Amino acid sequence: MRFAKLIAGVALALSAPLASAAPVLERQPHLRPPDAGSEEAGLWDATDKAERAARASGELDADPELNAYVKHVLCRVAQEYCDDLRLYVMDRPFFNATAAPNGYVEVWSGLLLRARNEAELAFVLAHETTHFARNHSLAAERHLKDQANGAMALGLILSAGMMAGGAYAGVSASTIANANTSIINISYLGAVVSYFQFSREQEAEADQGGFDRLVAAGYDPNAAASIWQHLIDEHGQSDFDAVRKGHAAGSIFNTHPLDGERLSALAAAAKGKPAGDLGVERYRAAIRPHLTAFLRNDLLRRDFGETLSLIDRLMADGGDAGVLGFYRGECFRLRRGPEDADRAIKAYEAATTAVDAPTETWRELGDLYVRQHDATKARVAYHAYLDRAPDAQDRWLVESQLKKLDQSEGT
Amino acid sequence: MRNVIAAVTSAAALLLLAGCMTVVDAPVGTYKVGEAYQVSLGRHWADVSAIMLDRSHGVHVLSVDGPLLNRLYLSEGLGAGDSLVKSTVKEKPTPTYKTDFSPTETVEFVADSVAALGYQKVETSHLRPGRFGNEDGLRFDLVAKTTDGLDVSGSAMIAQKGGRLYVILFLAPTEHFFGDAAPEIDAIMNSVQFHGV
Repeated sequence: MRFAKLIAGVALALSAPLASAAPVLERQPHLRPPDAGSEEAGLWDATDKAERAARASGELDADPELNAYVKHVLCRVAQEYCDDLRLYVMDRPFFNATAAPNGYVEVWSGLLLRARNEAELAFVLAHETTHFARNHSLAAERHLKDQANGAMALGLILSAGMMAGGAYAGVSASTIANANTSIINISYLGAVVSYFQFSREQEAEADQGGFDRLVAAGYDPNAAASIWQHLIDEHGQSDFDAVRKGHAAGSIFNTHPLDGERLSALAAAAKGKPAGDLGVERYRAAIRPHLTAFLRNDLLRRDFGETLSLIDRLMADGGDAGVLGFYRGECFRLRRGPEDADRAIKAYEAATTAVDAPTETWRELGDLYVRQHDATKARVAYHAYLDRAPDAQDRWLVESQLKKLDQSEGT
Repeated sequence: MRNVIAAVTSAAALLLLAGCMTVVDAPVGTYKVGEAYQVSLGRHWADVSAIMLDRSHGVHVLSVDGPLLNRLYLSEGLGAGDSLVKSTVKEKPTPTYKTDFSPTETVEFVADSVAALGYQKVETSHLRPGRFGNEDGLRFDLVAKTTDGLDVSGSAMIAQKGGRLYVILFLAPTEHFFGDAAPEIDAIMNSVQFHGV
């Protein structure tokens, strides 16, 4: 927590309006900074380093089909910048995407899980493309340099980011002094992200530019407001006060301040425009092979309010009822609030009526029935599990549970 | 500016505090895991518990070459609501133990705790019966990746006794370090002796 406060404190010191920064012109496609000593070249070097770390990261999702799909959507909205952008899907269960000054783009799995259709994903990518095209990061750096303590502040962010990364990886502050290069790279990435916080003005500009790119690519204009609205609604259901207020680490609202004005502007821009391509089926087909992994990863955040809100939204669209229903049950099972066991059973039972229910659904049902002392239903559920997963690695364990049930009934 | 100064002061204080923490020897022979049980160490380990800021109270951590290269967690016995990994950020709670966990949930608890340490893509395999001292328990293997992409392997043994969860968990890079320690880890797991038994 103190690391987060440390970073937040520094970020606060840097979040003054950008009015004093020198104007930055829109970048030309296919252009690397010609002068190696320029401030822009320095930014490229820094983000080149972050990109190398991403390429080796354990969080990288290298699935070729998923990457090709997301890159295709990116290029559809990025158009003239398509060849300048290199996409990396990262398995991070938070809604976020970034486009670094050197053309390195990260899309987090939390965003892919939360977009309901291709048009919503396209808007976020178009928004990031606009940050890239307008060189917003360069403007942020110029703003930082305008501050008397800019250099010191950047150094401090890098140090704080390093400590926060180290603490999360289970390394204490005393070992950080001896941390190897890889640890430094991990935290470097987070520090760079912290560094490039955008102003409200830049966000509004990226919304407008993103909206124009979305419409030009033939996507539905309503997707721009709807993706932000879903996210605001979901944050409102969070178990944590800081998330509900948009201040939590990892929240896109930390680096992309969002307010009602921006949302209204996007909704107003879409009014009167003809409906465009939503790409619902294409999107669900691309995400379906990853849905289980994304949901499992999302549960690791243990923000069950948000995950339930997300699942309910996706279930309302139809499809994937077995997988979504199972993870709805998982939320209740893990949360363990009052009546959550009953809710979990109901969710699992509903999931079993769908063809795509994971086999674990029946095992979890068995375990919950045991906890509720319903041996008959537990036995049926365990047998159903074993029938569906005869080679399960825990077959012996489920069989021993069945044996215990038989023994307890015999006594 | 005031924020920057406050941040520098906090960071400096933290580093000073960390400098006072000590790593102590865990020599060959008996190693007591609190009042609960003991294990036999076949080689010289270091007790790095004091510098592992994210371990929970009652969780010991040993290492031979440093916690980035090998780490052995030994829990004294987690009670209801206890965790293996301490939460450092309110919005990132870590898994907590419940006394009515099913066997599958105890395995999930360990795997999710490993994920809470910052490891990625944690998978368990080879679930099998084990003996934790004189108690029936579970043994299983793990694989994961560090955030910077290093492959990590793990081995775990757990048992529930008297409403408490006992965990022995070893994690090390798959290349060289895990295999190198595997016989010693097996021997440690087989050496558990509950006190008073």
